[in-house]
Amino acid sequence: MSTGTDTAAPYRSPLRAGRDGFARLLRAEWTKFRTVRGWVLAMGAAALVTVLLGVLLATGMRTVCSNGPVEIRCPALPTGPGGEAVDDKFYFVYRQLTGDGSITARVTSMAGQIRLPDAVPGVRNVVPGVVPWAKAGVMVKESGEQGSPYAAVMVTGEHGVRMQHDFTHDTAGRPGKVSERSPRWLRLTRTGETLTGYESADGVTWAAVGTVRLAGLPDTVRIGMFAASPGHLTVTQGGISGSSSAMRFAEVTAVFDRVGLEGTAPAGAWSRQDVGVTLGPDGLPHHPGGLVESGGTFTVTGVGDIAPRLGDAVVETPLTGVAIGLIAVIVVAVTFMTAEYRRGLIRTTLLASPRRGRVPAAKAVVIGAAAFAAGLVAAGVTVPLGTRLLREGGTPVLPVSALTELRVIVGCAAMFAATAVFALALGALFRRGVAAVAAAVVMIILPHILATASVLPVDAAQWLLRVTPAAAFAILQSVPEYPQVIHHYAPAAGFYPLAPWAGLAVLCGYAVLALGLAVFLLRRRDA
Amino acid sequence: MEATIEVAGLRKRFGRVLALDGMSFTVTPGRVTGFVGPNGAGKSTTMRVIAGLDAPDEGSALVGGRPYRSLRNPLGHLGALLDAGALQPGRTGRDHLLWLAHSQGLTARRVGEVVELVGLGSAARRRAGGYSLGMRQRLGVAAALLGDPPVLMLDEPFNGLDPEGIVWMRGLLRSLAAEGRAVLVSSHLMGELQDTAGHLVVVGRGRVVADTAVEDLIAAASGGRVEVRTAGRPEAMAALASAGATVAATGRDTLVVSGLAAERVVALLTAEAVPFSEVTTYRATLEAAYMDLTRDAVEFRAEAGAFADDARASTGAVAGREAAR
Amino acid sequence: MRGQTHAEWTKLRTGTGAGPLLLAVVALTAAVSAAAAAAATCPAAGCSHDVPRLGLIGVQAGQAVVAALAVLAMGGEYGTGMIRTTLTAMPRRGAVLAAKAIVLTGVTLVAGTVAVLASVLAARLILPGNGFTPESGHPPLSLADGPTLRAAAGSVLYLVLIALFSLGVAAAVRDTVTAAGVVLGVLYLSPILVRLVQDPDAQRFLYRISPMDAGLTVQATTGLADLPLGPWAGLGVLAAWTAAALLAGGLLLRLRDA
Repeated sequence: MSTGTDTAAPYRSPLRAGRDGFARLLRAEWTKFRTVRGWVLAMGAAALVTVLLGVLLATGMRTVCSNGPVEIRCPALPTGPGGEAVDDKFYFVYRQLTGDGSITARVTSMAGQIRLPDAVPGVRNVVPGVVPWAKAGVMVKESGEQGSPYAAVMVTGEHGVRMQHDFTHDTAGRPGKVSERSPRWLRLTRTGETLTGYESADGVTWAAVGTVRLAGLPDTVRIGMFAASPGHLTVTQGGISGSSSAMRFAEVTAVFDRVGLEGTAPAGAWSRQDVGVTLGPDGLPHHPGGLVESGGTFTVTGVGDIAPRLGDAVVETPLTGVAIGLIAVIVVAVTFMTAEYRRGLIRTTLLASPRRGRVPAAKAVVIGAAAFAAGLVAAGVTVPLGTRLLREGGTPVLPVSALTELRVIVGCAAMFAATAVFALALGALFRRGVAAVAAAVVMIILPHILATASVLPVDAAQWLLRVTPAAAFAILQSVPEYPQVIHHYAPAAGFYPLAPWAGLAVLCGYAVLALGLAVFLLRRRDA
Repeated sequence: MEATIEVAGLRKRFGRVLALDGMSFTVTPGRVTGFVGPNGAGKSTTMRVIAGLDAPDEGSALVGGRPYRSLRNPLGHLGALLDAGALQPGRTGRDHLLWLAHSQGLTARRVGEVVELVGLGSAARRRAGGYSLGMRQRLGVAAALLGDPPVLMLDEPFNGLDPEGIVWMRGLLRSLAAEGRAVLVSSHLMGELQDTAGHLVVVGRGRVVADTAVEDLIAAASGGRVEVRTAGRPEAMAALASAGATVAATGRDTLVVSGLAAERVVALLTAEAVPFSEVTTYRATLEAAYMDLTRDAVEFRAEAGAFADDARASTGAVAGREAAR
Repeated sequence: MRGQTHAEWTKLRTGTGAGPLLLAVVALTAAVSAAAAAAATCPAAGCSHDVPRLGLIGVQAGQAVVAALAVLAMGGEYGTGMIRTTLTAMPRRGAVLAAKAIVLTGVTLVAGTVAVLASVLAARLILPGNGFTPESGHPPLSLADGPTLRAAAGSVLYLVLIALFSLGVAAAVRDTVTAAGVVLGVLYLSPILVRLVQDPDAQRFLYRISPMDAGLTVQATTGLADLPLGPWAGLGVLAAWTAAALLAGGLLLRLRDA
């Protein structure tokens, strides 16, 4: 046996290899991705189907409003000082106030009526009652225009005394309902731009409820008493999309006495304004408010609410097709991984990159980036275009700040990316494409569909959207819940149980966990 | 750093099957080392362990003195062709090489070079799904050569090649070895390595049966015999026997002589004026030498069929491999 | 045909990991149904839940696994090239598809029945504890109740039709992963689309033609008058989708080279 007879010197390559690093592995995986045309096309299709479904929805939506007997283009929604759309509809009994001053009044009673679902079809079923967030109290408001800044101290149906200002801000005072035997004194003082609310049980001992500053408040403002009652909410289970909600008419009548003003012109009568009242088909005010004044007692009746507006179309409405786009993302991401196993390509990959943990990481970065780009295009086109089409079709869209709109768009892209990474990791865990696709769809898409379009009760739906990766859909919610506004806060109505970034974090958590497990198994298993 | 593959005491068990049972050998630079043995002898498993794809239960495999998994530019140290079918059908051959190149920090220019080197030509721009087995083998060789490594390891590279391709592959392997590279080539057909391998590692049942230079093996199998074709057979037999050789008649006018070199036979017959038309030194074929060698190891040849991981040696047998676990 | 069916049964049994998938059908369906039952509550004043439908909601999850099983039964052969072996052994391609359909129908029928019975049982045990009592107008779920029996039996048939629909799609699309994506996309697209449109007429139309919404109408036991179509008609819509998918798959299988 000869071993020493070889004459050739060992081979030395003239090739200069590049620097070792994660970057070149990324580049290799990117090359892998972009050189399979089907994958690139499918990722494009994910964006395209999202855009198309959004445009389809937005163009199909037409809304008209009526003003009296005539149909008109819906007026723009009033917006509050913060830019959000608001309901600003109440009965206001007021005087002009120039400079500093205050108003004091005692509320001795709150009563009202509520329309319930018809017991006998076609017959209005109106019962006495006060809805929890019916409000009556004293207010300083910049002008008679809807959406203008204000501050108010009030008693409510079931939430005690509150101080609210500029629609979205709410501070709690003492709890409890008002009645003849337990009246509530309210006071609002104005000093420059600063307003302070007080309450008292006896008109002697006063407690401050809150102090707010209304920047830019003009010298002359309106000061007075108001009443408003949001509608009564009923939610019905069943029907095509699981549950449906209806808001029915409710009004409140509050009795004020011991009214005291400081700082206003001593003489002069009270003005009254039914702020935001609409006309019914008969051309008369629809559910008007009113005032009965008799010897220092003011009985004010009001309908409506002074609160941020909910329930209209929102900027993410056109993004409803995202779930279908995500299925395409899942298919591509799973295939990007399982193609390695299906034909043994993983062995070539590991020959080129024997440090195993890096391979799934590099693949995750590449597929995540590709999906992010697809999601960014999808949402970046769908949100502005869809919102515009909706508004052109007369459908009001609740305005949000540019930052929130950006968060919805970037969040959608991030959801695409996290979904892709999660699906990729499932592909590595299952090593069988079909099983991985089914698992990803069952975990990401199905909970969302069950929660928003099935007979699942709201509490179960919310639970699903807290614990499953579908929680990430919360990132698309542009308008928050307001505790002081009664609404059907259900996933089916676009309200998610988790905060936007928290929801996205749930999906990211799943993705990181699955990817970690995939790395662990790849390290342990023979290839 | 010496360009070698060093395998020492590898053991690996898949379930009940002992695939490697103390496999040890060294591949040295400058020559083609044939890695031969029947299907299921452990060739592919050994190669996967060398390439860091499978972890051995015991023993070590080093490439250039280091475990493969610790290499920073792995394709610059070892070029391997393990499974020519491991391709994404929708990707072109060129793009397959391109991502491999990018993974090593190499450029598209190098891809063009290896495509030319293996003669893939314009086919490199077609989708790999439509490749014949021969084209896949060429693409696999191109991938192995991408990093211009000093060590090459090819599993059954002759599979699916047409006769022209086999000639090309032999020439390529020889020239790679001549450049000073260590080249390990596995095959279950000895004939494929004829005129190519300078050294053989013969394995069976997960361990090395013989580790020998091809020349020594053939010489041993040939046994220094000389064949003589003569019209005067009896005279020739007498003359040669009297010179101390063992002579046997193998036909009407042919003899086999043992114990005398060919030159001596010619001189003796000429001196005795015995007419002859041909005197040849018998040279066994590599195939025959291999058979000769493994005849002693009948027990493993007979039992080889019982190996559950037979399928592992054939290309693309992923399903079979997983079934074996 | 008998030989072919037997061959397909052997393949499904041995090759595609059908066992774990069938178990997953049962486990996922029952688990989702039980979880929904556990999460639902009915106040003493009564509630308007469609209780049998709530108890069978896991079918919406189980169908994804059924689809995966069916896609693998067909498409798995393309991935490994085994379809060539199959078609060599059984050159009549329509018969191959039919044999697969028969076997798939059999296993889905069994797994679906077990899954649905487990769901009904879970709902029957869990719901009374959450206020779904006879006093609130919800007697325990029972298959002796006509509409409940129809919902349960219809759910099993729904799963079978989903399996056959997936088989047809897989025969047409060939790539298994894409086929799974197409099936799940088509199924889950319809509830999204129905919610997308605002126009009530368009909404009812979409509901009527969508495989999942229409098909699952067979589970409805309350408010039938408000639904765009009847329970069995809904299942018929899904059957039409299935027939179309099988026809397309069979035709493409016949026309294409393997």
